[in-house]
Amino acid sequence: MTLCPRCAHDVVGRLATSPVPGVWDVLQCRRCLYTWRTTEPARRTRRDAYPDVFKLTADDLAAAIEVPAVPPLRTTS
Amino acid sequence: MAYDDLRGFLAALEEEGQLLRITDEVLPEPDLAAAANAAGRIGEGAPALWFDNVKGFTDARIAMNVHGSWANHALALGLPKDTPVKDQVETFAARWDAFPVAPERREDAPWRENTQQGDDIDLFSVLPLFRLNDGDGGFYLDKAAVVSRDPEDPDDFGKQNVGTYRLQVIGNNRLAMQPVPVHDVALHLRKAEERGEDLPIALTLGNDPVLTLVAGMPMAYDQSEYEMAGALRQAPAPIATAPLTGFDVPWGSEVVIEGVIESRKRQIEGPFGEFTGHYSGGRRMPVIRVDRVSYRTDPVFESLYLGMPWTEVDYLVGPNTCVPLLKQLRAEYPEVQAVNAMYTHGLLVIISTKKRYGGFAKAVGMRAMTTPHGLGYVSQVIVVDEDIDPFNLPQVMWAMSAKVNPKDDVVVLPNLSVVELAPAAQPAGLTSKMIIDATTPVGADARGNFSTPVQDLPEAEEWAARLRQLLAAQG
Repeated sequence: MTLCPRCAHDVVGRLATSPVPGVWDVLQCRRCLYTWRTTEPARRTRRDAYPDVFKLTADDLAAAIEVPAVPPLRTTS
Repeated sequence: MAYDDLRGFLAALEEEGQLLRITDEVLPEPDLAAAANAAGRIGEGAPALWFDNVKGFTDARIAMNVHGSWANHALALGLPKDTPVKDQVETFAARWDAFPVAPERREDAPWRENTQQGDDIDLFSVLPLFRLNDGDGGFYLDKAAVVSRDPEDPDDFGKQNVGTYRLQVIGNNRLAMQPVPVHDVALHLRKAEERGEDLPIALTLGNDPVLTLVAGMPMAYDQSEYEMAGALRQAPAPIATAPLTGFDVPWGSEVVIEGVIESRKRQIEGPFGEFTGHYSGGRRMPVIRVDRVSYRTDPVFESLYLGMPWTEVDYLVGPNTCVPLLKQLRAEYPEVQAVNAMYTHGLLVIISTKKRYGGFAKAVGMRAMTTPHGLGYVSQVIVVDEDIDPFNLPQVMWAMSAKVNPKDDVVVLPNLSVVELAPAAQPAGLTSKMIIDATTPVGADARGNFSTPVQDLPEAEEWAARLRQLLAAQG
């Protein structure tokens, strides 16, 4: 099973595959949207080699602020 | 010499020896970004880089570092490649005075050759996308000119905005976008979202080199980037009508992506290694749904590496940040001589000015902070006398070391606005700002012992010419 290198989520989709068959795929975590190519270095593709400083948890994702904030709907009276 | 598209400029760079073709097969990661990163570390005059042999791709064409040296920046403006930086900035400023130059509408845009629509859209099939830095959340479009209109005034050509914003590809037809709140597209989005409406948007990729410079230039809200491009390239900017949005887009683009920013939606984005030399992200950003892609046959994908300065982005937004600040300051204070805002898109600015009276330099510093760009950037201002060249850092350091009495010449203002990306801000979006008045006190300001400066001898200029001649004869 492929884990997201960044948030360890186990649902990973495929966004693209190499025009030359079988060389690489572009994968994406369905939770944190981290996107990587399978031929990238381990530090970008493997959970056990992914730098701690860039790892995200479910709490980090839940706490992510909105930029820019969604403004109040303007009501017409 | 005005270039109408990226291809024309790449050909000119090659003729000038400023385009390097990498013919060996490279990996998409980390090679493409590492090569462009390295271009900023090999000294002056780095070339643009061209890749067309990238592992796994059959027909990728990738241009990087196109603006990534003073030589290339000069050529983008149609100047000789050895033009000194200060002269490039002065030429930029002089051409600005021709603004506005009406654009030229053309209807035979080459990006009309190919189209994807609806469910057929797959950005990965059009663009050889790749990652730049290790911690980036994904693959980015970071050199697009993004076109949007004011939802309350959609027919106003001047309020139509052309800007560069980072765009993360988060799906085959979806992107996350970072509209910095102080930038025009954020104003457009806010108006649309207040009405509960999607904001139509056009992303144009692979443009002529001046349009790219203008898209990264802080201009007034109602000034047209196309009319400024015309002034800077000394020829009308060629534009065409985008088929879905009806927006005015560059005639010469390689790819035109149209769609909407979906109203009141946010999705996780980033991080992305930014122009500040630090990552930013892990925040929830607006999302673009792509509805139509128009592209040239065999499109060229232009990308930009950015990281710890200097990299291409520092050349791209150096002079084009100096000149608007210079013009806006001079409009009220003609005493202002020159502005160097080349550090981190103007987070730090050096201004040289004559003094009207005591305390004047500090007023100029405060005004720099309240220009449109200053509201989101200008956090540190060093003000120097009129005889100091703000691009000559040893001169600036002399002024700082000799003229500044910190107790009275350093002013710190708390809790002012700054882009959320500024790493030193606390909280994000808020910072203290500082003026260092390194000018000689005048008028009522009688502090210090500056009455007898040592000036260059009147004969020194003649001797400089003589020394140069003797050296030339010797060599």
